[in-house]
Amino acid sequence: MVTADPPRQVAVRWRLSGHAGRLVTTALAGLFLAVITRRAEFAGLAAPALLLLAPWQRDRLAAVELSLADGAGPVTEGEQAVLAARITGHRDYSVQARLRPAAWISAGAATLEDDGWIRLPFRVERWGARQVGVLEVVLRDRWRLTEGRLTVSLPRVTCHPLPARLDSLVVLSKLPARLGEHPARTAGEGTEFAGVREFVPGDRQRRINWPATTRRGTLQLNTYAAERAQVVVVLADVSSDVGQAGASSADLAVRGAAGTATAYLGARDRVGLVSYGQRIRWVAPGTGRRQAHRITGLLLTDAGDGVRTDAVTSLPRAALPPSALIMVFSPLLSLSLIETLRELRERGHAVLVIDVLCAEPDPGKGRGRDMADLARRLWRMEQQAIRFSLRELGIPVVHWDGQSSLDEPLAPYSRRVMVTRR
Amino acid sequence: MTADQSARPRAGSQRRQGTRPGAGAQPARAAQPARAVVAAALLAAGTLTWAALPMSGASVGARPALIVAVGCAVLSVAQLADHILANRPLSGPRGAAAYVPPVARLWQRILRALRITPWPEGMIIAALAVEALHRSRPWHTAVLGVVLFTWLLATHLAESAARPTVFRPHLPLIAAGLGLLALSVGAAALPSSGLGGIAIWLAALAAIAAVIVAALTLPV
Repeated sequence: MVTADPPRQVAVRWRLSGHAGRLVTTALAGLFLAVITRRAEFAGLAAPALLLLAPWQRDRLAAVELSLADGAGPVTEGEQAVLAARITGHRDYSVQARLRPAAWISAGAATLEDDGWIRLPFRVERWGARQVGVLEVVLRDRWRLTEGRLTVSLPRVTCHPLPARLDSLVVLSKLPARLGEHPARTAGEGTEFAGVREFVPGDRQRRINWPATTRRGTLQLNTYAAERAQVVVVLADVSSDVGQAGASSADLAVRGAAGTATAYLGARDRVGLVSYGQRIRWVAPGTGRRQAHRITGLLLTDAGDGVRTDAVTSLPRAALPPSALIMVFSPLLSLSLIETLRELRERGHAVLVIDVLCAEPDPGKGRGRDMADLARRLWRMEQQAIRFSLRELGIPVVHWDGQSSLDEPLAPYSRRVMVTRR
Repeated sequence: MTADQSARPRAGSQRRQGTRPGAGAQPARAAQPARAVVAAALLAAGTLTWAALPMSGASVGARPALIVAVGCAVLSVAQLADHILANRPLSGPRGAAAYVPPVARLWQRILRALRITPWPEGMIIAALAVEALHRSRPWHTAVLGVVLFTWLLATHLAESAARPTVFRPHLPLIAAGLGLLALSVGAAALPSSGLGGIAIWLAALAAIAAVIVAALTLPV
């Protein structure tokens, strides 16, 4: 079942087909040679072509009706989607359709289904709002003498970034007093065993640890860790976009941010997003599916709103709660962002930087190669110095190449709780 | 790739839910145009070979005409192959280069010119010229006509990725055309001593037919 837009009239441009052109050439050349050489066999050679040109039709369709199904919806990078088109009112003309893809779209083979719809499979290779391309239709008459062509721009699709995989979460040692799923250091009503203590009146009898009671001679009670929710703010630095398109630093930052937000929202944590681009835009931490849509919407669209890039630290408390874990996806090329990270750390925020820089300046070829190599070495040293200074401040910096799961670089911080000292 | 609405789907061939669209039909559809291109190339080679034989009995201009015909044939086959390649499932650009060197621009222009030049028409004219530069041999010209006509049909099948059944409505006309070809060969084989007047009439009819064909092809 296909939900379609109402059909619209599309004008057809007609021209002589290539087949007709060749028939005309054969006929004219044969007749010309028959006249010049006075050899009747050349006139006979032109006869089949002449007869095939005889049923030439002069009344042609001015327009056909085209329906496009609005079935693509939002897609994810690399995911196959299908647009459907149906052409009606083409009488006995045969219809041939193909999809000429736009940038970052891969088109598949168009297929005609039993219901008369032409399915145009395609795949979006890069996140963002993308034009699918152009539908090209060729109409051919029964005698294959004329070709009618029409082209229709296909609608745009919204492509969500492919979220990076993250199974093991980084959890802070101090969690706010919200019910959640992460075991906290304090005792509570959770399910994770924390220890044994002496029974005091008022404790639940069902939690008495009888083996320990037998050994010690007094009533002993099992204690369990409290389960708390965490507040995570993901900061995606899209102010610079370096590297190969499709795997650039901005691509990795967006995919990493999407994956992190998805993983923490899946653990029922409160997740917010700060997009650090030309302007700073944010979504205050929240939970649930609607929050996931808000975060994706902020990553995909740029309405030009927001605050200046030097105002991260002055964001409202709701956008940047003091107890939040701030996960920064950045190539660390923006000095103002680095200063902001230092300031956040000095204010006591728990900051974790995921470095998504996977490109280096190209030294090029030619006479200036030596100087370019030297400049590149200096640039590398400067980058290393930036990362070292952040680590010295207590901001862990890990590198992610975009190929592997985020679990690999975050493993040292996800195996145990992350302790943040003020 | 392309989908042809004239090709009716088989009854009951419904795609299962959840399978990738078009995944099953793609290889068969991709192989068909490739076969048609090979067939067109073989028929072009056969046409030129037949038109040139025997080269020893041809006039002076036959050799240059043959060279032109071979060049046009090669380029027309390349044009067909390029057309097929352009119709395959493809990917959009991954970002445009900010600067295209002049040599690359020139090469792109040459390629564009090669793509839009009507090489098959050139081959037809050159092949018929080669045939005309031989002495009169009606049956030989008739065979050339049949091979050339088959090549025309094969070329159209290759460029439109259509099945041979699209020519089913043309069969009566094709049969009539081949009959006329046979008649003309018979007429040409007759001794010409007593046909002076008829030959003039045939030439006049051929000229009138040429004018009609030219008028038919004028854009409306």
